[in-house]
Amino acid sequence: MNSTATHFDLQRNPAGNLMYTDAAGVVHENVLPLRLFPLTDPEHWVAITSSGGQDLACIEDLAALPGPTRELLLDALAQRDFVPLILSIHAILRAAHGYEWHVTTDRGKTHFTVENDESIQPLAGGSIVVMDHRNTRYLITDPATLDLKSRQRLERYY
Amino acid sequence: MPADPLTPPLLEKRLETGERVMARFQVDLDQRLQFEKGLLVLTNRRLLCFEENQAGPQPFQDWVLGEIAGLSMEEMGATAALHLTATAASANRHWRFTAGLVKEADTFVACFLDQQRALDGGVPSAMPEPIETEGDDEGLGFTDLMPDATHGNPLLRLLKFSRPWLRLIVLGLLLTIAATSASLLTPWITGVLVDKLLIPLQTKSDEIHLRQLLPYAAMLLGTALVAWLLKWWRTFVVARIAELVTSRLRRELFEHLQGLSLIYFNKKRTGDLISRIGTDTDRLSLFISVNFIDFVCDVFQFAFTAFILFKIHPLLAFAALGPVPLVAWLVKCVRGHLLSGFAASSRAWSLMTSVLSDTIPGVRVVKAFAQEQREIERFRQTDHHVYSTNDRVNRTWSFFSPMIEMFTDLGLLIIWVVGAMTVAHGSLTVGVLWCFVTYTTRFYGRLEAMSRFFASAQRAAASAHRVFEVLDVEPDMPATEGTRRIGRLSGHIEFRDIKFRHGSRQIIRGINLNIAPGEMIGLVGPSGAGKTTLVNLACRFFDVSEGAILVDGQDLRDIHVEDFRKNIGLVLQEPYLFFGTIGDNISYGKPDATRDEIIAAAKAARAHEFIMKLVDGYDSMVGERGQQLSGGERQRISIARALLIDPAILILDEATSSVDTETEREIQRALDNLVHGRTTIAIAHRLGTLRLANRLVVLDDGRISEIGTHEQLLKTSGTYARLHQAMQEVSQA
Repeated sequence: MNSTATHFDLQRNPAGNLMYTDAAGVVHENVLPLRLFPLTDPEHWVAITSSGGQDLACIEDLAALPGPTRELLLDALAQRDFVPLILSIHAILRAAHGYEWHVTTDRGKTHFTVENDESIQPLAGGSIVVMDHRNTRYLITDPATLDLKSRQRLERYY
Repeated sequence: MPADPLTPPLLEKRLETGERVMARFQVDLDQRLQFEKGLLVLTNRRLLCFEENQAGPQPFQDWVLGEIAGLSMEEMGATAALHLTATAASANRHWRFTAGLVKEADTFVACFLDQQRALDGGVPSAMPEPIETEGDDEGLGFTDLMPDATHGNPLLRLLKFSRPWLRLIVLGLLLTIAATSASLLTPWITGVLVDKLLIPLQTKSDEIHLRQLLPYAAMLLGTALVAWLLKWWRTFVVARIAELVTSRLRRELFEHLQGLSLIYFNKKRTGDLISRIGTDTDRLSLFISVNFIDFVCDVFQFAFTAFILFKIHPLLAFAALGPVPLVAWLVKCVRGHLLSGFAASSRAWSLMTSVLSDTIPGVRVVKAFAQEQREIERFRQTDHHVYSTNDRVNRTWSFFSPMIEMFTDLGLLIIWVVGAMTVAHGSLTVGVLWCFVTYTTRFYGRLEAMSRFFASAQRAAASAHRVFEVLDVEPDMPATEGTRRIGRLSGHIEFRDIKFRHGSRQIIRGINLNIAPGEMIGLVGPSGAGKTTLVNLACRFFDVSEGAILVDGQDLRDIHVEDFRKNIGLVLQEPYLFFGTIGDNISYGKPDATRDEIIAAAKAARAHEFIMKLVDGYDSMVGERGQQLSGGERQRISIARALLIDPAILILDEATSSVDTETEREIQRALDNLVHGRTTIAIAHRLGTLRLANRLVVLDDGRISEIGTHEQLLKTSGTYARLHQAMQEVSQA
């Protein structure tokens, strides 16, 4: 694994896109940072890929990056990351195809349809990922930290 | 849910006279990716944007179509963005939405482009019908699509399933009532026996002879016999109903599964499906044959005993039945808890089945990586999960029986106290009191049984729900859709500007290809380029999202699916052999094939020789995955299977990629026979197969990047030339 954490430079070009300069000084425009373990370990292992999808670098630990670079990277990741954390479950209702979940997430209130039991899967570390019928992923970091009512509702379906 | 801030008047207020709504698109996120709805409306003049949050900084924004330089969509992983570039950069705007809405966004952008073209003076390619704003039930889009009414209580649906056996059910019910009535007579007779015989005998007040006991004994014996016969008959009738209903359920489940598309099976775990068809229907059978009928019995006895009790002595009855409302209230309290408990237990069970169906077929991998301990641990965990969910729900329902026993004792206590006082008072005889006590004991016994039913009903409801969940999946590839019956095709295939999207991923991005009858096409390209998808589309395992596939000039969607599939021969990378003889496996696509045909097919597939050498020849049994045979042998059997149905179109999905060179040569010879005179689409990496092809089609990222013969493509030194070089390096190494 080439965790070249220190041998590169990340800048924003005037158009607002990320620009990556590798150890050899080659500049890549329009690079894309991707989390490799977005659900189980979002703070580690971020890959930087070229616009053509080629792997340019792999950062093991975001915390080890110099401040501005990290900010830039986190900012770019935030543009793409979308795994709402379920904070509380208001209701889980039977719907025509599966169940309709009404929840509050860290990104506001929403509701979505969960088609079947396989859409709710445990992950390593005790968190639970819920996939809706449109393939959006929702995360419950630790079911034990949910409020009692939410936990009871979850227990009925998981 | 907050009240919809946008009602039709709000949009109408914004519309100018003569302005028509052409399309609308609802986004579900704001700029910071928070859930916040917004609505984009395209009219014949403008693009309007409404925010759900009317108190926000910019609840409404609009652009005249002429001001818009471009509107484009960008997919960004789990979300996507719609970028609007205005002629004045300050009016640029971005919208974000979850990736599930990509298709809608695509349509919206297409509508926009059409409008712009119309504005530029051209006639729009396909003028969409303006969307009526008046009388639009959905208001302005912010109304959420509420799901259809739920399908009702799963147990009631089960009742609908038993409709064909209504007469049998009525018989069962009549027998139940008769049997119960017979057994209810006993306490009555005993009561009379006590008053008329035992008490006088004891007090010696009258001249009573022991001989008078005989008619009572005979009556008791008679009722016991009648009750026994009736119950026997009833139990049998009811068990038959249960088997009939669940057998129908299993059959329909399986039939329904066969009608579902590959997409569904890709999403589902095999173990879970097996457990639904097997375990869950079995639970339902048990429920109908034992619990449900017991319940009917109990309700009847319950009502009847209550009636008798009140008839005998209303005051005493009131006293004895005092604790009943308390029981009813308790039942109501734990109901939800039980249902969720049983649902969890059912899920835990299917999870365990899934682990089994995952590990047992994968046992070679498990052993090879020496991960037995890990799998044992995984099973231990799921098994413990089953234990703990059952344990949790057992805790609740096991509380019930003892509790009701306690209430029985309480009721009896009341009767003894109140009864003794009434007997002392002289308004009640000992016989009647005895009868009363017996009925009360029964009454509470029924109550206990009913509470147990209640638990089993919740368990059955959970199972029924799992069964109906599968039955409610709409086949996404309706076999009835195409009605045109066809015979043998000539094999002309045309892909006309096809696109295919799976979930939020666009896999095929516009392919045009014309394949002549009898032509062989080699599909090449890096993995993930869409080769297998293209082949799946040609087989009509899925339908195209846009464009059309034509065979012999007819749209694939108009043709009867089964008729079409009879024209298709499929040879996969991993040949699947069913449990049965080799002969059965070869004639799988044409069960009425003669032995002659089977042997001819095997010969053409170069399978005949090795089959002959097997002890049982064509009658050799092959297992689930045909373990006794080598990969190449299995492949040749699957080629024979494809040959036998003499298909007009042949699909080879990397048929030679998993075998060694020697075997490949054998398979290659078999394939030569197979492809001759048929339209063939072959996904291949092996040069041998590729050289056979009339044309090679190189796919890259869902598009055709190169077309030509092997030699032509080598000269252009494009993608194929690179792939070819890599292949040669591999084969030389």
